[in-house]
Amino acid sequence: MSDGATARSRSRYPKLENFERPNVITTTTDFIFSWARSHSVFPFQYGLACCAIEMLSSGFCRFDIARYGMEIFRPTPRQCDLMIVAGTLNEKMAPVLKRLYDQMSEPKWVISMGACANSGGPFYDGYNVVNGVDKVVPVDVYIPGCPPRPEALFQGLLELQKKIQQHSFVAASPSVDGDIGGR
Amino acid sequence: MRGLALEIGTNPLSLAEIIARLHATFAGELEELKPQEPDTVTGRCAAAKLKAVAARLRDQDEVGYGTLNLIAGVDYVTHMETVYHLYSWQTNTYLELHVVLPANDAQIDTVCDVWPSAEWLEREAWDMFGIRFLEHPDLRRILLKDDFVGHPLRKDYVDSIENHPHV
Repeated sequence: MSDGATARSRSRYPKLENFERPNVITTTTDFIFSWARSHSVFPFQYGLACCAIEMLSSGFCRFDIARYGMEIFRPTPRQCDLMIVAGTLNEKMAPVLKRLYDQMSEPKWVISMGACANSGGPFYDGYNVVNGVDKVVPVDVYIPGCPPRPEALFQGLLELQKKIQQHSFVAASPSVDGDIGGR
Repeated sequence: MRGLALEIGTNPLSLAEIIARLHATFAGELEELKPQEPDTVTGRCAAAKLKAVAARLRDQDEVGYGTLNLIAGVDYVTHMETVYHLYSWQTNTYLELHVVLPANDAQIDTVCDVWPSAEWLEREAWDMFGIRFLEHPDLRRILLKDDFVGHPLRKDYVDSIENHPHV
């Protein structure tokens, strides 16, 4: 990343001099909402195979996903906005994945974690394996690895945070079908 | 059927003694009984005789095989096999019972009425190998989706696009 880009992305964050009076800040809704969203992601624990072990270990004290404000893994899609697909998706599970994704409320994001979720991985030729979850749901971030370490998952989450922060309400509003998402 | 943890191995018999008892009780029905150290007896049974043998295997006095752990299917191309892995609580040993089936028309009587655990095991063997279990109460696929075409662990299975709608 060039120095200019770094400066631009940093300038989006409020600094001390932005505070005109104590506890009062002037900013845009785009910024404040996407900032809040990107730091309070609710992941959906969609563990399908061994990647789920790494995902769960991310949640405990050694790696501590709570540092990013994402520690609340919910077991129901209705309370989540991030689906972390961790593991091999097979043909029988694919309609279930699609249905659970549809049940999540907008805006929502998907992280494909590990080789199996990305492409089928070592089971690419399997008789019952879907060759990548992006065949079923739209994926925002792909994390390589077999399985990825928790640090890799965190890098994927940080990349997703950047993506969430680019979300704009203004640009999305003229949508004809009433979809508020900026996808 | 007895058998809780406290009763394991209440009747410790050597494999040779178990084979002698099985020979006496199932003469002409169980064949090629061999010891396989440390705790297994292997044997063969004709497909037509399995139904008659199963209940007596479970209920016999000293070596009752009260538990069916596993039904394996095997495709040898020339023929197929189902392998019943039975466990005896009294003697704390296993019986590995091989049943040969024809390759083109693999079917055999169910043992669900003897060991209820066979219900899902037989569904799995049907799912993977296409072995039909006659008089099974609910012979559906168990691991693969209902509209899957073919039986994937057979040697002649060819993967087809219709089993992969998500491409």
